[in-house]
Amino acid sequence: MQSEEHIVAALRALAEEDAELEAPLRVEDRVRKIFRRKHAVRKWRNGLTWSLGLAAAVIVVVFIGMPDKQHSPPPRAKEVATKPPQLAVADHLVADPQPVEMPPATVPARQVRRIAPNSDPQPREIVTEFFPLLDVAPPFERGELLRVTVPASTMRKVGLPVSENRLTERVYADVLVGNEGLARAIRFVSYEQ
Amino acid sequence: MIATDQALLEQALEGVEDAFTALYRRRQGAVYRFALQMTGSTAVAEDVTQETFLALILHGGRYDEARGTVGAFLYGIARNLVLRRLDRNPAADLEVTEDYAGPEDLLEDLTRRESIEQVRQAVLSLPPVFREAVVLCDLQDSSYEDAAVALDCPVGTVRSRLSRGRAMLVRKLRGAACTGRSIECSQKSI
Repeated sequence: MQSEEHIVAALRALAEEDAELEAPLRVEDRVRKIFRRKHAVRKWRNGLTWSLGLAAAVIVVVFIGMPDKQHSPPPRAKEVATKPPQLAVADHLVADPQPVEMPPATVPARQVRRIAPNSDPQPREIVTEFFPLLDVAPPFERGELLRVTVPASTMRKVGLPVSENRLTERVYADVLVGNEGLARAIRFVSYEQ
Repeated sequence: MIATDQALLEQALEGVEDAFTALYRRRQGAVYRFALQMTGSTAVAEDVTQETFLALILHGGRYDEARGTVGAFLYGIARNLVLRRLDRNPAADLEVTEDYAGPEDLLEDLTRRESIEQVRQAVLSLPPVFREAVVLCDLQDSSYEDAAVALDCPVGTVRSRLSRGRAMLVRKLRGAACTGRSIECSQKSI
C-alpha cells in the first residue's frame, strides 16, 4: 500500500515535470495550413454547386415560361432514371488531359440545347467524365441533364487544363440536376471539328 | 464566456479556422505529452500530435458526445496512432529530453531529475496495455471514464490495468539498487 502511494507520488512528480511540454509551433502551422486547404476546396465546391444549381433553375424557369410559338407541346427534358448514365469518356481528356477544344466564343450565353439526337448531321460530341459537385449527396433517384454554357474557367476548378487566354470563353457543359433541385455533377462537352 | 471543446469542434467542422486553432491550442499539449510519455520520442510525439489533429479535421464528424468528451476522443485517436508506431518499431530508440537545472539547489535538482528520469524509463518499459493506463490516469490526470473511452474498454478494466501497471512500476524501481535510486529513497528527493 505504501509502495503504491510512493509510486503515485513519483508519477505525480513526473507529470509535474512534463506539465509544460507542448508540441512545437511548426506543428500548429502545418495543421492550420491543411485545415485552410481542406476548407478552401469545400468552399469553391459549394459555391460552384450553388451557382450551377441556380443557373439550372433559372434555365428551367425561363424555358417553362417561354410561349409555345409552334403550338406543339414542349419537348420533355431528358430524364435520367435511377442512375447517372454510363458516359462515353474521351480518352484523351481523361488519360492525358490536354486543353479541350472549345466551341467558338460566339455561342450565345446561357443557351440551352436538348441532347436528343437531331436528324441534321451533327459534329460528334466529346465529353469529359462527370465531376461531382457535392461532397455528400443524398441518394439519387431521378434527375435531368441540362446543357448549359459556362466560362471555361469552370473547367479549371475541377482540375482540367485550360489555356490562360481562353478562360473567359464559354464552353458547353451538362449539369446533372437531381429531382430535388441539387446540381450533382458536371461534365464538359466539345465538338469534333 | 469560454467555448466548450464541443462547440469549438462543431465550428471547426463548419470551417471556422479560429475555432479550430482555439481547440488545437487547448488540447495539443495533452496529446503531445501523452504520445511522448508513451513512446519516449519527441519526434514521434510531434508526428502523432499532427496526425491526431489531421484526423480530427477529416473525421471529426464521427465524434459522439454521448460516448465521452472531445479530450477523450482525441486521446483515442492519438492512442491508435501511438500503438501503430509501437507495433512498427517496438524497440524505438528512446530520446532523453533536454534537461535544465537552475542555479539554485543544483544538487537537489539533479537528484530529483535523476529520480524522475528513472520513473520515466520505468513507465516506458511497461507493456503498452498497462503503460497507457498509467500515462492517461496518473500522468495525464484523465478521469477513469475518459480513459475508458480513449482505451475503448470498460472503466473496471482501466482500474485493474492501472493497478497492475503501478505494481509493475514498484517492482521495476525496487529492483534498482537502493543508492538513493529506489522509490523509497527517491521519495526523499521528490
